[in-house]
Amino acid sequence: MPAKAIGRVTFEALSQSPLLDQGEMAHMATIAKHNEISKQRSDQMRRRRPLRLTPYLFIMPALIWYLIFLVYPMFQSLVISFMDWDGLSANITYVGFANYRNLLFEDDTARQAIRNNILWTLGTLLIPTVIGLLLASALDRDLRGRTLLRAIFYGPAILPLVAVGMIWAWMYNPQFGFINTILREIGLGSLARGWLSTFETALPATFVTAIWGGVGFPMVLYLAALQAIPKEQYEAAKMDGANGRQLFFRITLPWLREAHVIVFSLAVINSFRTFDLIYTMTYGGPGRITQVLGTWMYFNAFQYYHAGYGAAIAWVIAAITLVVAIPYIRHMSRE
Amino acid sequence: MNLRKSLMVWLAVVTVMALVSGCVATPPQASNSATTSTGGEAAASSEEQITLRWANIMDATAQEQWALIVDAYEAENPNIDIVAESTAGSGAAIYPDVLKTSMASGSPPDLFFMWGGSIAQPFIEADQALDLGPYYEQYGWEENFAPWVLERISSDGKLYGVPYHARGMGFWYRTDIFAENGWSVPTTFAEQEALCASMKEADMYCISLGGKFGWHTMRVLDYFLEHHCGPEIHDQLNRLETSWSQQCVVDSYSTFQTWINDGWVTPDFLNVEPNDSRFPFFAGEAGLVLEGDWYEGVLKNNEQDVANYSFYLPPTDQEPLRFSTFPEQWMIPVGAEHPDEAAAFINFITSAETQQAMFINDFSSSATVGVNPDCEEWPLSCEWREHILGAESTYPPTDQAFVKELMDDFFEVQDTLVAGRLTPQEGADLMQQRVEEWQAQ
Repeated sequence: MPAKAIGRVTFEALSQSPLLDQGEMAHMATIAKHNEISKQRSDQMRRRRPLRLTPYLFIMPALIWYLIFLVYPMFQSLVISFMDWDGLSANITYVGFANYRNLLFEDDTARQAIRNNILWTLGTLLIPTVIGLLLASALDRDLRGRTLLRAIFYGPAILPLVAVGMIWAWMYNPQFGFINTILREIGLGSLARGWLSTFETALPATFVTAIWGGVGFPMVLYLAALQAIPKEQYEAAKMDGANGRQLFFRITLPWLREAHVIVFSLAVINSFRTFDLIYTMTYGGPGRITQVLGTWMYFNAFQYYHAGYGAAIAWVIAAITLVVAIPYIRHMSRE
Repeated sequence: MNLRKSLMVWLAVVTVMALVSGCVATPPQASNSATTSTGGEAAASSEEQITLRWANIMDATAQEQWALIVDAYEAENPNIDIVAESTAGSGAAIYPDVLKTSMASGSPPDLFFMWGGSIAQPFIEADQALDLGPYYEQYGWEENFAPWVLERISSDGKLYGVPYHARGMGFWYRTDIFAENGWSVPTTFAEQEALCASMKEADMYCISLGGKFGWHTMRVLDYFLEHHCGPEIHDQLNRLETSWSQQCVVDSYSTFQTWINDGWVTPDFLNVEPNDSRFPFFAGEAGLVLEGDWYEGVLKNNEQDVANYSFYLPPTDQEPLRFSTFPEQWMIPVGAEHPDEAAAFINFITSAETQQAMFINDFSSSATVGVNPDCEEWPLSCEWREHILGAESTYPPTDQAFVKELMDDFFEVQDTLVAGRLTPQEGADLMQQRVEEWQAQ
């Protein structure tokens, strides 16, 4: 019986076990007594130990940076979200929850933006994740050139989103863009259109770019998780007659649980922070049909001189992100 | 498990913090320098070394050319060091944000570039732009510029900027294509439409547009408003002194939809970058672009034969014949560290003597009277100068008449009309509704 177990299960409980003989009982009593004495000494030392400043001095620079550049602005933005302020002048007026009320109940564009963010999130949770998982499964096999293929599929993920947005905006150009040119070349000219100019296709077309750029990250995470699965489990299951589907759902997916936590939570967080692609590819247009909360926050805070309202949008994004992400993370962590 | 849990929670918290902390600035304290610093005060002692921070939107080529003028000024004023802080290439999309951030953080430049009208107005209304009246008196600036330019940059009768460029816009066309097809420059709106119809018959688009950001498309709508509403009502519409839900606005929207439906405008242009609209024009696929006096430089930069291009003022059937113009200006922030030195530098760079002695491409659109480019080298710019500085009356582009927020409402209506999701009457009604909502704010 390992000594470690004694710490978890009481000696009294174990001593009732009919499986233990006299010698084992005596040995366990000794270990339990030893553990008790060790614990008492440890508690005494902890009580006597003086406060050591050195570790705090080491973390102080990072802590100060964090407090000044993250915590302070964050709380200041919370304060500003209750104000009417143009972001420039000294005139600043307290308006209570007016900015939040306006955002949630009166602003049509904000509602459009929230709808777009929700669609974006659902799409991101489904499409890049599934494609990433499928790619990871394919590239986890013994395949010639798989390192190169991994690099190719991961490549878009390391490109700056602004650059990705600009490249794709050119590809979507209705007159000389790659996509319409290809469609015309292969006899599908009737499908060629202004992908980003049309109200119905602008958001989906932008989302296609997000998929292209967003597949690499889940792929890499799933790949790492797949490689950590003990091969013996598959071998044992196969010997028991498991088929491919059973292997995937009974072994692979449960082992990917931790990767799911990271992929799903980051997908939600990043979806509500979407800004770069929309800003570079559509600028929120045509009209305001592709506005998302991130761009609407920017337009209000920086272009319309409504700093208070912009801050309120930022806090709504933050709240939505936390409401969605934290319970999910906690739930998965408990599992 | 705990480590993972903590990691993920912290990840989420840090993300949220980064998100909300990005949307913050500090309310600046009202500065006294607006009242204490005047042009009448003596500039800093010549012994004191001063760095003048000069915010502008010049690209590398322009900065290289401007180095000549900056070097000359520094040679004359050895205690002054001019440091350019450029936000090139962003246009009015990002540059005002950069300025705003510097002002809100209490570290504004000493002088800055700015467009006219509503783009400058927020800085004036927020008491962040210095009233340059005393400097106008000190340096006698009013004599240097065309009256309409000064009028366009003034706010409540005060001048917060010094004119830098005076721009005008019209239809540019290919003279060789016009000659081949026997087309002539239209002098009435009916002739303009007949020309577009002829271009369509010749398998060309009449006009190439880049609708992303909205302002390129807006120029055409502005033209239609001038034609259908006339100067007086057009100006009233821009000042929100009359309803947008009126027949001439409906007619303007209707004409615009007709041009699009008849295939006179390059298709699917709503998300095309304004700069990309030049390609169908250069390729002879579109007959016209609605661009400004700067376009001669664009043609040269794109290695086009300028001899094959010309321009005309869009015919409006109105008296006087007005076209779209806008000024650009130099301003001094209220919180500038060296306002007097900044004013002295502005005086140097806007003076006719300096610009004539050290003429660079940037001065081909100068707002300063008496400064003209070499007409052999810049024939079209020379021609534009006569129109712009000699204009009896002009109208501003709507994006310099409306604040950005209302302008985006205008663009939304405009895009929705282009997409055919609104009738002209619905568009006019929606625009008026947006105006009223904005006024109610």
